[in-house]
Amino acid sequence: MKGLGVALLVVLTALAQVSVAPLFPVWAAVPDYALVLLVVLTVFAGPTTVMVALPLMAVCVGFASDRSPGLLLLAYLPLLPLALYLENSQMPLNSYAQMALAGVATGAWARLILALGAIAGGADPSFGAIAGQLVIPGLFLDFALLTLVYAPFRLLGWSGRGMSLQRSRW
Amino acid sequence: MLIFSRYTWWVATMIGLAMLFAVVGQTGLLTPFQGIFLRVTSPVGSVFTTVFRPVAAFLSDAGNLNDLQDENARLRLDNEGLRNRVTSLQQGAEQVEELQKALGVTQNVASGTKLAASVVHRDSSPFTDVISIDRGSSDGIKPGMVVLSSQGSLLGTVTTVTSSAAFVRLVTDTKSKVASQILESKVEGITKGSPNRGVSFDLADSQAAINVGDTVVTSGLGGKYPQGLPIGRVSEVSGSSQDLSKKVTVEPLVRLSTARTVLVLTSFTPQRIGLDSP
Repeated sequence: MKGLGVALLVVLTALAQVSVAPLFPVWAAVPDYALVLLVVLTVFAGPTTVMVALPLMAVCVGFASDRSPGLLLLAYLPLLPLALYLENSQMPLNSYAQMALAGVATGAWARLILALGAIAGGADPSFGAIAGQLVIPGLFLDFALLTLVYAPFRLLGWSGRGMSLQRSRW
Repeated sequence: MLIFSRYTWWVATMIGLAMLFAVVGQTGLLTPFQGIFLRVTSPVGSVFTTVFRPVAAFLSDAGNLNDLQDENARLRLDNEGLRNRVTSLQQGAEQVEELQKALGVTQNVASGTKLAASVVHRDSSPFTDVISIDRGSSDGIKPGMVVLSSQGSLLGTVTTVTSSAAFVRLVTDTKSKVASQILESKVEGITKGSPNRGVSFDLADSQAAINVGDTVVTSGLGGKYPQGLPIGRVSEVSGSSQDLSKKVTVEPLVRLSTARTVLVLTSFTPQRIGLDSP
């Protein structure tokens, strides 16, 4: 039942990504609802959920926007390994900082990969536009969105789950 | 490889899956599944768009109140100028004849069979500007067909078609390139999408005279588009006649973000000549 709920959430978020997000651009950057949901699932539902939700999200966004699901899969792929690395590292980061850093870094990577994919597909290479209009505004937008979404969960008292997989299951 | 200590198998699987998607996507095997997905989810997408578009329009208008006032003042001036122009055209027989010739081009295009479609989604980023419409191969839509606004301006071309939906690459997409010309001076060039949903005009002759306000239309060269479809107006020309190249910015005639209904020109068959043919 939980899996079905997550799948439904993923599909609805993918649809919102292509029908709602473009209506609310901040400068040139478009909010990445798909990334936000994946980060929230990573923190509150655990890594095993995201392992299935991430490829499903890539397929749904790809189908709805006529982008390559493979490229989208590669775009969001660093999220889980990065979250695990930050959790295991000795850096003095609380759970919020870990979540924000993993999300923002993955968002920057995703925007870069998708832009490079567009250039490989025939778009004019404009690296100034990638940095100035895509990646840097996207960093701020992702950070703001993640904070907006994360704060209510923490206020409700929901605690994040660890990134480590259970050996007995995996 | 410490990062991937427990995720190695999953990361490897995902990379393999991504490669599989890339290969299968090229063969078109995913298209039927995409069609089913779009058929099932398009009502939800339409609901999202219907609910959130007015909110976005309100926020956009509120944020651009000064711009809207300026635009309104400019449109009043344009209107006055156009009225004067109509009057002068009515007085000069030669000018009327020229106008009739221009209308003849437009009428040829307009007489073609068009199919109305509603915009369902829009995937927009600084490098991508694609919309999906609720008409597909079952309605006779084919890849390469030309898509117009409800007023007849060029919007883009159909790129992918499923049974019940199709994707349209807009002229503002950075992959979009349209053989075009300046209506007033007949200067040839290529209209290209530029980052951040802009449109630029690359001149074939960098020394050609271009003026702000000139109209850019399709030239018909290459066979992908009919001749004479309006695209936009020149909004900015930077660089002097001494420069090797001028940067010409074009403002599309139609406000692409608010287009809800589009027309697919089903009677025009694009000819894949030029780079696509030997």
